[in-house]
Amino acid sequence: MIYAGVDIGSRAAKAVLLQNNTIISSAIRDTGAESVKTSEELLNELLNGTGIKAGEISYTIATGYGRVLVPYANENVSEISAHAKGINWYFPTVRTILDMGGQDCKAINCDGNGNVTNFVMNDKCAGGTGRFLEMIADVLDIPLNEIGTVSLSSNHEIPFNTICAVFAKTEALRHLRKGVSRADILAGLHEAIATRSFNLLKRVSIEADFAITGGISKNSGLVAKIAEKVQMKPQLCDDPQLCGAIGAALFARDKSAHTNRTKMQYGYEDGTGSYFISLDEGLCDGCGKCADVCPAGIFCLVQRDGYKVAEVKQTAIKRLSALCPGFITCRTGNHGVTCKNVCKHNAIEHSW
Amino acid sequence: MLAIGIDIGSLTTKAVVMNDGQLLASEVSNTLDEADASASVAMTKALEKAGADDNPEKYVITTGNGGKEVSFADGSKAITTCLARGIYWYAPDTRAVIDIGAESSSVVKINNRGRVIDWANHDKCASGTGLFLQQMAKLMKLSFEEMSELSRRAEKGAEITGTCAVFAESEVISHVHRVPPTPLPEIILGIYLSVSTRIKTMCKRIGAGECLAVSGGVALHAGLVETLEKELKQRIYVPQNPVCVAAMGAAVLAGEEIKKELQQ
Repeated sequence: MIYAGVDIGSRAAKAVLLQNNTIISSAIRDTGAESVKTSEELLNELLNGTGIKAGEISYTIATGYGRVLVPYANENVSEISAHAKGINWYFPTVRTILDMGGQDCKAINCDGNGNVTNFVMNDKCAGGTGRFLEMIADVLDIPLNEIGTVSLSSNHEIPFNTICAVFAKTEALRHLRKGVSRADILAGLHEAIATRSFNLLKRVSIEADFAITGGISKNSGLVAKIAEKVQMKPQLCDDPQLCGAIGAALFARDKSAHTNRTKMQYGYEDGTGSYFISLDEGLCDGCGKCADVCPAGIFCLVQRDGYKVAEVKQTAIKRLSALCPGFITCRTGNHGVTCKNVCKHNAIEHSW
Repeated sequence: MLAIGIDIGSLTTKAVVMNDGQLLASEVSNTLDEADASASVAMTKALEKAGADDNPEKYVITTGNGGKEVSFADGSKAITTCLARGIYWYAPDTRAVIDIGAESSSVVKINNRGRVIDWANHDKCASGTGLFLQQMAKLMKLSFEEMSELSRRAEKGAEITGTCAVFAESEVISHVHRVPPTPLPEIILGIYLSVSTRIKTMCKRIGAGECLAVSGGVALHAGLVETLEKELKQRIYVPQNPVCVAAMGAAVLAGEEIKKELQQ
């Protein structure tokens, strides 16, 4: 089975193909102005040379800012969940993630299963985002992928007292005019961004291990500065920019396994009739509302393959007809609220 | 003896020459890397305009960014104090002045004697400042006058959050590329509204509500002032030379010092 994960970010669009728990192909390109076109091109680039046709992909999940604009995606997830999932696949011990993207920066806490437990995000200000570095690289006339290495060669860091991208640009220009070296300016700016990222991290809990994802983590100068502040060596995957897309592909794999699950039947047949409650686990999203509203309390939530699903309690199965009045009677008695009509996926059926 | 006020802003340096409470000349020049150089260039030009002798007797008060670093100054005052005194000189019944400069915006609440009661300042980021407006003007290839003119044609403003000048730029671009594209006047009004929101919050914070005036270079943006008037639901006084209000205040304070010296 082949699964695809597509991450349409604010600046770059990423995609991966996942087969037998390995990444068999990946693609990165600029998002541009037309997300739909970009995502189509991304798919072509992804399949190019692999000999796989688009129809052979069993499930595709999109993530990122442009996730709703991927025409061939079956579903979408938030990029926060995707990054946590992706990093968990590489490094299961990671509990704290700093995702530094093109237009925002997020600090994420996750558990051992790659589920997000907490996050904070800065998407209100360009300071400390990829856009900021792009602007600076432009002003200093250094290619974006080299600014990290250049900053490391500084021996006299210039302190910057602003994090605003617009002000930093004018301040950098002022320093340039005074003859300050570009390395020293870059070192100062990297320090300012590292401080800001560290402040963001402090708002979640900084637990070992620590990882940095997103395009900015390719900047060695910044990674070194953040490592110094966090006092932990950050884990970096092969291509940290792909982490979100990998997470989405992993979600696609799980989801596809999930939809393959069968309808569960709970109950029995006796002299008075047949009493079965059927629960479609492929539809159930584990919201738990049925368990909350059932006056007889016959539902419970269980974990199955890492997903929460509703189930009829073992103790209730043998006494179903005595406990559950059937949903027509239940509706009149319980002010119109029944397990059937709170389930938004219509996964529950009663045979009587 | 001439009273001279110099306001060193982040983009321009303003100098005002006064004699015995009378305005003689004012000058606006670009801020240079060194505070000393910027101040002396602006002052020399202003003195020339005033027709003063080569080396007149003078009392100099500086204010603004790096105002304390000017070596030939007799004193330096806080920008808020100078703004308050400056606007008091123009219109004594003003109770709050909104100052929008290149890299900061502030609101100063003053009493009936031109003294500062309270103030709020925003200088952490470019949103709601002159630089933000300048960047937008550059992006749309329009002059400030053209922007003001166009904004009057809009009935409603386009949605621009304006929490960050950089992101606002991409918001404007996405408005332009939308199908159908948002009309230019609406985008401009949206930009003005986002600045107004910043100012409104500051006014609210210090309780500045009536008899407002504007100062700073952005006050020349007639469209923005009109939007502010609509948002704050009142007329806003624009002094004749809004850029020089703080320098004027510094000159007024210098004049007071001269008077004190004469009395002694």
